[in-house]
Amino acid sequence: MSGPCPEHVRDPGACAEVRRDPGASAVRTRLAWRRTGLSAAAVGLLAIRPAFRPGAGPAEWLVAAAAMVTWAAVIGIALHRAAELRTRFPGPAPRAIRAYAVLVAALAVLGCWVVML
Amino acid sequence: MFGQLRQWFDSSQTGKTPDYRFSLANERTFLAWIRTGLALIAGGLACAQFLPPLPVAHLREIIAILLLVLGGLVALRAVDHWVRTERAMRLGTDLPRSRFPAVLAIAVAAGAVVIIIAVLIQVF
Repeated sequence: MSGPCPEHVRDPGACAEVRRDPGASAVRTRLAWRRTGLSAAAVGLLAIRPAFRPGAGPAEWLVAAAAMVTWAAVIGIALHRAAELRTRFPGPAPRAIRAYAVLVAALAVLGCWVVML
Repeated sequence: MFGQLRQWFDSSQTGKTPDYRFSLANERTFLAWIRTGLALIAGGLACAQFLPPLPVAHLREIIAILLLVLGGLVALRAVDHWVRTERAMRLGTDLPRSRFPAVLAIAVAAGAVVIIIAVLIQVF
């Protein structure tokens, strides 16, 4: 790997170091985002399950819709971050990471709602 | 508490940028914790939906809510640990130590023992 040092890397010495990395850590990280999205899909499916039971009412539909929106946001963030990881020197993504954790906590709250129904 | 919370949203770039491979490793650790949290949440939802009604009133719901709250806490703690690790790498200080993995392991093991005992004396 060669080329100019990216803007977010302030220490030029770090650039010389990363040239030895053929991008494996970026690929591993991308796959980790994918895996996490799949785990979120399992949670989303369990959360919408009550909406398909006979006798489901508006409360079940509402919680299922909220779970689907949360899951879509989770997948959207993961896809965006995966695209970012294709750049040569992927920078950290504090916003994506914070949003992801908050969305997972929101899934937990939605789950509590499902249990209380 | 509020100081730590402010740290979450503090986007000032203190110190120097670490080798991006270390940042990505930190990110993967965060994602692994998020998956742990998601597994706990899925376990809670599965408990609520697939366990038969238990002899103790609302025990099924209590188990489910405990797992869900634990999952949410794991997610929030994951982002906190990510922030503190990122900061430590930028400032070149020691990585943050945490008792949380040990506490979680003990809690899960204790839960497993309780369930084994419940199965042996045929509570369910």
